[in-house]
Amino acid sequence: MILTPKILARVVLIGLLGVLLQLCFFSRVELFHVSPDVLPALVVCLGLLGGSMAGAVSGFAIGLFLDCLLVEALGISSLVLLGVGYLAGLFRERFEIHSSLVPALLCMGLTLLAELGFGAVQLLLGVDSPLSVLIVRDVLLKSVYAFFLGWPLYLLLRRVLRPALVEEPKVQRRRQPRVLGA
Amino acid sequence: MYRKQVRRRRAVLALLIVSSFVLLTLTYQGSNGFQRGVSTVFAPVQSVADRALKPARDLVDWFDETFDAKGENSRLKSRLITARKEAVAGQEALQENAQLRKLLELDRDPPLAYTNYVEVTGRVISRSPTVWRSSVTIDLGSDDGVRVYDPVISGDGVVGRISSVEPGSSQVMLLSDHASAVTGKVLPTGVQGVVKPEVGNPEDLILDFIDSTRRIHGGQAVVTAGWRAQGLPPSHFPPGLPLGEVTSASIVEQEANQKVDVRPYADLRNLDIVQVLTGGSR
Repeated sequence: MILTPKILARVVLIGLLGVLLQLCFFSRVELFHVSPDVLPALVVCLGLLGGSMAGAVSGFAIGLFLDCLLVEALGISSLVLLGVGYLAGLFRERFEIHSSLVPALLCMGLTLLAELGFGAVQLLLGVDSPLSVLIVRDVLLKSVYAFFLGWPLYLLLRRVLRPALVEEPKVQRRRQPRVLGA
Repeated sequence: MYRKQVRRRRAVLALLIVSSFVLLTLTYQGSNGFQRGVSTVFAPVQSVADRALKPARDLVDWFDETFDAKGENSRLKSRLITARKEAVAGQEALQENAQLRKLLELDRDPPLAYTNYVEVTGRVISRSPTVWRSSVTIDLGSDDGVRVYDPVISGDGVVGRISSVEPGSSQVMLLSDHASAVTGKVLPTGVQGVVKPEVGNPEDLILDFIDSTRRIHGGQAVVTAGWRAQGLPPSHFPPGLPLGEVTSASIVEQEANQKVDVRPYADLRNLDIVQVLTGGSR
């Protein structure tokens, strides 16, 4: 990703909007008793478009902003989301995205990882109450929602950040040779 | 050139990880002025976003509620039969109560009658995205007289308590948060214990440390006990606020684990308007 002040402003705005949308909309609606979590998917998309550095930094910043607004322990969301962003960026640097399904699948897989990571950090910090098995349903459904949210989100972010993307030229499909007159 | 890039990338990653741990340490040491500043600045933005997004939220909720409506209907029918019987019995008690209240000249609801609490009504403006933290942000703050540990209720019952306060907004730790604990009392038996959550299931609370010699039955109401337990976070709940209803109370469970399951009266997943009880005895 080529970072110019204009692109940086766009990325910051995307992060702010993402966190506000999560807190004021996605966290407050439920489908099958589970609220979607769009933030890991957002960080994954930024990582896929910008690489591991952009992914890690945006994940850290989005996590920090989230914890600030919730007045919760700072650093937990940052730690989890920076890991998710870094992994997504690393995938982009090592492999080519051949199918449009790949970003959605990555959003699903890395959201699952983020939710597990968040749970692990929270357990390490200490949970006084007993745990319900419904946490498993919550984590799995959040990952499924991330699949469906990640798909349009990736396309939208690619369009918004298009001027900054270093895209490889498309491989032209070779035409089959034709015999003149045939 | 490539190696240099890789080294730089790893250095940034390490720096970010270290920063996260430093932030965590700073939070637990209690220095969070930056956090409060950001929260204060963005509280009005959250409030506007909350109102703007309400129609969209209602649309999604409509779909979700349609799925639930079928099961809810049959459950409510069976509860209606029980409620009718209780209502008939309650009529008599109400008449008697009205006479007694008249005699004592009480004009407030019973749980708040003997306290000096002032109810302040506010709106939920945002909610935590993860099941591990069960908290909401409301548009009431220290400017409205809200203080940390103030009880928060909805029209149905207790919701939680204030965990942090800024000038224009506050965080409410819900009953379903892993750090929440409220002393409760089962009616009419008077069995007392501590109401704790089961993390991940906002429809189930656990009344813990109960006296196993006295029996509790499903359907019995649980209200706040009003006392403060040692080793638990401070709370200022007046006695008698409705908490929930005992759902399952097997004798084996009561004797072995000294706990019963309680369904909260308040819908902790769909909160919109809440009241903070400010200025109570501390």
